[in-house]
Amino acid sequence: MATRQASQAINTQDITDKSRRDLLLLLEAVSLNSRHGPVTTFIDMLQVRGKKNLVIERSLASIIGLFVKFSTLQEYGVDKLFVLENHNVDSSQRNIVFLVRGENAKIVRTVAEQIRLVRSESKIDHDFTVIWVPRRTLVSNLILEEHGVLGEANITDLALQFVPLEPDVLSLELEDCFSDLILRRDPTPIFAAARALMLLQKQYGLFPRILGKGDNAKKLADLLQRMRSEEDVNASSDPTNTYLTSFGLTPSASIENLIIIDREVDFPTALATQLTYEGLLDEVFGVSHNQTEVDSSILGGAPAPQPQSHTGGPTAPAAAATKRKVQLDSSDELYPEIRDANFATIGPLLNRTAKRLQTDQQNIHKADQSISDLKSFVSKLPSYQAESASLKTHTSLAEEITKFTHSAPFRRTLEIEQNLLIGSEGSTTHEQLEELLARSTPLPTVLRLLCLESTLGNGLRPRDFEHFKRLLLQAYGYQHLSTLARLEKMGLFVAREANRGYLNPISGSAGQTATDWNAVRARLHLWIDEVEEAEPRDIAYVFSGYAPLSVRLVQAVLQKGYLLDLVNPPRAGAAGAAAVGTGANGSGWKGFEDVLARIKGATVDVVQKGRDAEASQARKTLRGNKEGPKTSLVFFLGGVTFAEIAALRLVGRQLEAAGGGRKLIIGTTGVISGGRAVDVAIEKGVFGA
Amino acid sequence: MSKPTADWERVGDRFYRKTQLYTSVFDPDLELENYVVTGAPYSGAVALYRDEGKIYAYRGTQAAKFTIDIHSCAGKLIRQISWDKGRIKALGWSDDERLLVVTDDGTVRSYADLQGDFTPFSLGHGAEQHGVQGCKFWSTGFVALLGDNSIVAVTRYDEPRPQLLASAPAGEVMSWTVIPPEHTSSRSVEVLLAIGKTVYVIDAAECEDRGLEAGPFRHISVSPNGKFIALYTEDSKVWVISSDFQDRLSEYESKVKTPPKDLQWCGNNAVVLAWEDELHLIGPNGAASKFYYDSFMHLLPDIDGIRVLTGDTCDFLQKVPDPTEEVFRLGSTSPASVLLDALQQLEKKSPKADDDIQLIKANLDEAIDVCVSAAGQEYSIHWQKQLLKAASFGKSVLDLYNSDDFVHMTEALRVLNAVRFYEVGLPLSHDQYIRLTPERLMQRLVNRKEYLLALKVSEYLHLPVDRIYVHWARQKVRSSSTDEDGICREIIRKLDGKRGISFEEIARAAFDEGRGKLATELLEHEPRAGKQVPLLLSVGEESIALDKAIESGDTDLVFYVLLNLKKKIPLSSFFRTINTRPVATAIVESSAIDQDRELLKDLYYQDDRRIDGSNLLLSEALAAPDMTAATDKLKMAAKLLRDSKEFAPQVAALEDAQKLLRFQEVFEKDLTERFVGLSVNETMSKLIKMGNMKRAQKVQTEFKVPDKTYWWVRLRALVSRRDWRELEELSKGRKSPIGWEPFYNEILGAGNTKIASLYIPKCTTLTVGERIEMWVKCGMVTKAGEEALKAKDRGALEELRKQASGNAQLDIDRMIAQLQKGR
Repeated sequence: MATRQASQAINTQDITDKSRRDLLLLLEAVSLNSRHGPVTTFIDMLQVRGKKNLVIERSLASIIGLFVKFSTLQEYGVDKLFVLENHNVDSSQRNIVFLVRGENAKIVRTVAEQIRLVRSESKIDHDFTVIWVPRRTLVSNLILEEHGVLGEANITDLALQFVPLEPDVLSLELEDCFSDLILRRDPTPIFAAARALMLLQKQYGLFPRILGKGDNAKKLADLLQRMRSEEDVNASSDPTNTYLTSFGLTPSASIENLIIIDREVDFPTALATQLTYEGLLDEVFGVSHNQTEVDSSILGGAPAPQPQSHTGGPTAPAAAATKRKVQLDSSDELYPEIRDANFATIGPLLNRTAKRLQTDQQNIHKADQSISDLKSFVSKLPSYQAESASLKTHTSLAEEITKFTHSAPFRRTLEIEQNLLIGSEGSTTHEQLEELLARSTPLPTVLRLLCLESTLGNGLRPRDFEHFKRLLLQAYGYQHLSTLARLEKMGLFVAREANRGYLNPISGSAGQTATDWNAVRARLHLWIDEVEEAEPRDIAYVFSGYAPLSVRLVQAVLQKGYLLDLVNPPRAGAAGAAAVGTGANGSGWKGFEDVLARIKGATVDVVQKGRDAEASQARKTLRGNKEGPKTSLVFFLGGVTFAEIAALRLVGRQLEAAGGGRKLIIGTTGVISGGRAVDVAIEKGVFGA
Repeated sequence: MSKPTADWERVGDRFYRKTQLYTSVFDPDLELENYVVTGAPYSGAVALYRDEGKIYAYRGTQAAKFTIDIHSCAGKLIRQISWDKGRIKALGWSDDERLLVVTDDGTVRSYADLQGDFTPFSLGHGAEQHGVQGCKFWSTGFVALLGDNSIVAVTRYDEPRPQLLASAPAGEVMSWTVIPPEHTSSRSVEVLLAIGKTVYVIDAAECEDRGLEAGPFRHISVSPNGKFIALYTEDSKVWVISSDFQDRLSEYESKVKTPPKDLQWCGNNAVVLAWEDELHLIGPNGAASKFYYDSFMHLLPDIDGIRVLTGDTCDFLQKVPDPTEEVFRLGSTSPASVLLDALQQLEKKSPKADDDIQLIKANLDEAIDVCVSAAGQEYSIHWQKQLLKAASFGKSVLDLYNSDDFVHMTEALRVLNAVRFYEVGLPLSHDQYIRLTPERLMQRLVNRKEYLLALKVSEYLHLPVDRIYVHWARQKVRSSSTDEDGICREIIRKLDGKRGISFEEIARAAFDEGRGKLATELLEHEPRAGKQVPLLLSVGEESIALDKAIESGDTDLVFYVLLNLKKKIPLSSFFRTINTRPVATAIVESSAIDQDRELLKDLYYQDDRRIDGSNLLLSEALAAPDMTAATDKLKMAAKLLRDSKEFAPQVAALEDAQKLLRFQEVFEKDLTERFVGLSVNETMSKLIKMGNMKRAQKVQTEFKVPDKTYWWVRLRALVSRRDWRELEELSKGRKSPIGWEPFYNEILGAGNTKIASLYIPKCTTLTVGERIEMWVKCGMVTKAGEEALKAKDRGALEELRKQASGNAQLDIDRMIAQLQKGR
């Protein structure tokens, strides 16, 4: 009975499989010219008749690449692949399929224009198919109608929501979610997140408890509640639905809670320089959809086995000669071991692997080997080769990163950053910042530091604020008036207001507008002096000292005992251990209400009960064991950084080690970094361009 | 009670049975031969319309009115649709009892739910010019054959998109049919056209000649499972072949001179050949049996048999199901048959019952299973009961038996018997019931307005009942003559507290009836905001719609309402509507940035958002083609902010921007180098690099650049220019706002140790150790030694000695000695 492990609570592979299946079915349907009702079976036909050209939105192309190979698309009749933004769709095939996001009016308009263009220029009678991701929208209908192409195209949708980046990371991969939420205040990502989470709930049952921090987190939680009541009606008015679904949702047997962290609650963590290997890869080269692009000269002598079949996503053909794509995921032999390590320890880690591989190699050369030894070695040979190739790649990458981390500007910025995070006040920081400005350090670096100071201090003093603004405009150009205006709108770089701040932390008052960082820093122990980078015990290792607030909040729910011990070290050793054990039960924010009240944004704590008490009881009985569900889903609204992922993985490992099969899964709207966060605001135009 | 075998007929080695479902079906005056009759799948409704090709007795003007009549299988008139549109060419049904009427000119009307309301669409593809010859329907679509032998397929009805299939050869089409997509290897519909002596297979991509020679084929028909094709050849033979045209399976010669009226499949293993009142049932291997009727008949094929409809009766012709045959076949000694006998003995209180049981003891559970499934196949309630009783008796003898099937069967039979009742007229067979699913059966009941029955059955089977209520309410809204408040009250009263009711559908029905106020009122009860919005827009309640859309959190909806709103109302009131709703404003803003900047300007102006307005102008300045235009835009941007004191820094910055552009234009003219686009610091840097110190200084003073910044810029520019002379000059200066260390570092970084070393003595704030380090970096160990000597640091000297070589080593030794001496 107990074969169903908690570790399979959310089967991310399922999500990948389903997305792939849905997409392929849609593509297949195009060649069939029909879409017969609810397609229930996975049709095993590989040879389908109609060839088609696939036009895909650039940002979707690499996402699709996460779960389906280009060769598979070809098997399903895809002849050529075009990127929508290039406006180069040709008319070589009768079937033209568009795969684009339907929620963006601009994209929809482009699709409509291209259909019109192809239709007017081509002599053959084309069959157009538009596959909207993740759903068909009213606005897309309206726009296609305005362009007179609504009747011309077969329209379907592909409910692509969560994409598993890794077995424990689910991402919506919404590229603009940070700017949508923070800059434009456009709640589209919240809705998308709610729909995706609803889908999980439909599959795994209601999240028994929803916790969260931040105003947007509150909106998301409210939306989830609302959708739940709407779901009742939807389920019954959908004719294809069988009566099983209409019993209504019951609390999940496998998921214990959902913890929503609103990015707005914790900007500093996003702005700080990530110091894990993966984080630095992102800082230096940029990582998107599990891939990074580096100069092939960096990889230098390393052979090119890396872009193997699994990178063969739709974007694979003919990457620019000078750039090479490197796949960064757990399909690699080595990467999973080193990705979350603090960069300081990467050298020894790589070294150890190199030594091991060397001994392996020496083993072959030993003369006296029995045939069975040889056989077992030969069977390991492929993985050995893959591992040594991967070692070469990562050594080259690490070397390049070392160049960066050893550079004087990097050390200078890191020093300022750490001082800010520790919370030491001082004019030296400002002097150092002024120097950075005068030395025309790259703008994003300077902005990150300024924003970091502003967010940690609820704004700069008005005099300093104006001073830095002036310096910035002089150093980088007056076009950055827009940049500054945007940062101010985002709340990243503001002047401190007299009436705002930590004067009035009425306990429990929702909608606190500012965070009292000093109190929070002390109360949640956001700075750890003794960080053991090699054998990390605390999440602070990811920033070499600073423990990200977002993850501390998660710990406030899941590792209460640990956190309390950290703040008030236990006198007797035994007491602490007991606290860890008991701290984990579903008591929400209990014990940390006062800190939460000092952090800006609303606090969410909702208990979801099933409509049908009997059914949930029955489920519990069927499950057999008395203990409650064990998996927690942490959802980042507005993006998560790799450093936070690494920190949460540490928390997850600690939970698992504590026994009871507890597990952590991370969900997010996308992956973000400080560079990308400020880049949203930066004005790209230049005078006289 | 008549024996169940009474209406069995042996065809070859199989039995077929004809079950009379209903009698006195139609009005005796109805001349069925003048009508075209089609039946919906799964014993659904039957549609009749008068065949215009036939002459009929004139019965006064009243009868000349043309209608399509929808009857139940028992003949009950469900709905009459009056027709005035044109010549009907084909009438067909879909799986969900949607009636499709196709006219001569390619217009299709689709009537859902047996209602009088329809949605029209047109076939296009030249249907108007060439006319529609006929149509063939399958469960979810149909194919139309046009006058020029082109073929148009419609594969879905919710969003019909008629598509032209591959073109067929010219020639008279003798007969034709379709293989539904679910049964073809290509998964798209295939059309079989009998032209000339052969048959062509046509799908979306190609047309293939199957190379037959026995044509022309008067009739062609595909079996329900798509595996077989029946053909009627020129020499009056029936061929059954596999649908891939590879094997000929059987042949039958009817020996009747007149060509048959129809050829249809009866289930998957027999073919029915029909004349006006004669029917040949052809089983496997060419075995056949004949049936005769008193009057004209129509064939309504279904998945597991065929219904035969005459003016008087409705019969169901099917192969005797295996369990039934096992139980009832004469002389059967199967365990099930014995079990039934045992029951009869028991009822006679005969001890033989026990003998029977003992006889089949070993196979008793199999016998029970067979009796249960045979019960499902029976139309007669008496025999259903007998069989179930037999099963029950058998069960009582067994210690262990899983009764699930038995229970399900009793439930299913209760439902089947209820819907087979002539007033309801759904003579479903058990197989059809399973294939149709109970949910869709409920839909059919609701379509027939059998609300009470539907409710009772739903409750009995634990199905959701909300659809039934909604349908009822819609009907109420459509047909009730009471006042709107009354209707609303009654609906709310009935539906209150029921789960999952879609008020939106009811409201839509009200709206379609022109009862806008009622629709709005009903919408208030709809829980899904998303569903309220489109209807609220139709009713004209835009601002309520906007609020509901925002409430739903679905930005697509909000945007949709906004787009509608913008078209409808003047811009000023549009802005008024959105500016109290931040989400709406955000969406308008983010969409307008891409495509409608003027709108954005108006919006900012209206809302008095000056900073945003000025930034918009700033971005226009950036995009401006030349500097005068850019300056103008900057002026406008500054003007927007000038009135208010709080924007003073912005105004100053905008003015500085203009000033910078002016300066840069002058520089460009004088120095013939590009300056526009550079920042203040960059401009200074470039000037210094070009050796224009004076101008650089002027820029510094004009823009009040802090000294520190200026020094940094100058240092870096000089270093990059490798102007060592100037740097040497600077080292003679007395004070530097940025200290001297940066000079050392930058120059050393550029590789000039000599000049760099000039700055070491000036770094007085540093420790001795640091200075020693600096000297060493410049390669001047002796100097480092002097530094150490000055500080009397013996340890450092020792350290330096290790690094030193040649003369320097001697120097250090000397210094160490000096230090020792001094002590």
